[in-house]
Amino acid sequence: MHEEMSLSERLIEAMEPHTMFTIKLPWLQIPVADVVVVMWVIMAVLIFFSIFLTRKLTAVPNKKQNVAEIIVEFVNNISKDAIGEHHWKAFAPYLGTIFLFLVFANTVSIFNVIPGEGFKLRPPTRNINVTASMAIMSIIVVIYAGIRYKKMSGWLKSFIEPLPLMLPFKVLDYGIKPLSLALRLFGNILGAFIVMELIYMAMPPVIPAIISVYFDLFDGILQAYVFMFLTSLYIAEVIE
Amino acid sequence: MTGIIAIAAAIAVFTGIGAGVGISMATGKAVEGIARQPEAAGQIRTVVLLGAVLAEATAIYGLVVALVLVFLKM
Repeated sequence: MHEEMSLSERLIEAMEPHTMFTIKLPWLQIPVADVVVVMWVIMAVLIFFSIFLTRKLTAVPNKKQNVAEIIVEFVNNISKDAIGEHHWKAFAPYLGTIFLFLVFANTVSIFNVIPGEGFKLRPPTRNINVTASMAIMSIIVVIYAGIRYKKMSGWLKSFIEPLPLMLPFKVLDYGIKPLSLALRLFGNILGAFIVMELIYMAMPPVIPAIISVYFDLFDGILQAYVFMFLTSLYIAEVIE
Repeated sequence: MTGIIAIAAAIAVFTGIGAGVGISMATGKAVEGIARQPEAAGQIRTVVLLGAVLAEATAIYGLVVALVLVFLKM
């Protein structure tokens, strides 16, 4: 099927989202891309495991409760370290949610076990629209944290805090933070994805499996951690 | 035209030099710090991660510019 396509055409084919089906409503039609379907699958898996791991909680944890407690404690410790003892509880659920979602979204291509052409699990974060919406979510949480813990007047005053001269830079800050969050995640995942696609094309058998440990697993989990870490730092900065 | 775009993309990827030098300097200093004070390893790790991530941003911007040049203009 792909014999007569050139290398760059195959790369572009792998990078672009494909419309899988269209939701037909009487007044409009919504095309649903494979990126969205993969995200739905990840959400379903996360919801299933959240319910499965937290059923019948007891004071003395059994096996599956231990797994849930390790994950929750990991996220709690990070938000406690970054945000501080007083306010971390309000933000730990959000940080944990984006971390778990991004871990699955970045590393989803290692679950790609169906051989042959057709539908493939590819990381949805290789699309800039996904990472941009995640970054906008994070900056909304940051603004909400500022308004909630410093009141509207205190938050507005923080724009001119040391000097009124700082106002343009502080306003610019709220645009640069989500931009760099989105581009960092997008660039890292797309770069790793392109390298992996090239390796799959050049030397198909065993070698991609070894290299994928770095590019898919390590890089994906590291970028998910970095996204959560930077969000927690931005929150800590604004509520101080 | 295609050749010029390819050269432009290659120049954009030169931003990686700065990120490489910056991350290696930060990591080197962190290793020195941990060797001197092993008890501060946790805090040093956090700061180094933050510094590496911020230094890496320039390289990522260069990569994104190169990708845009190659895939959207050719």
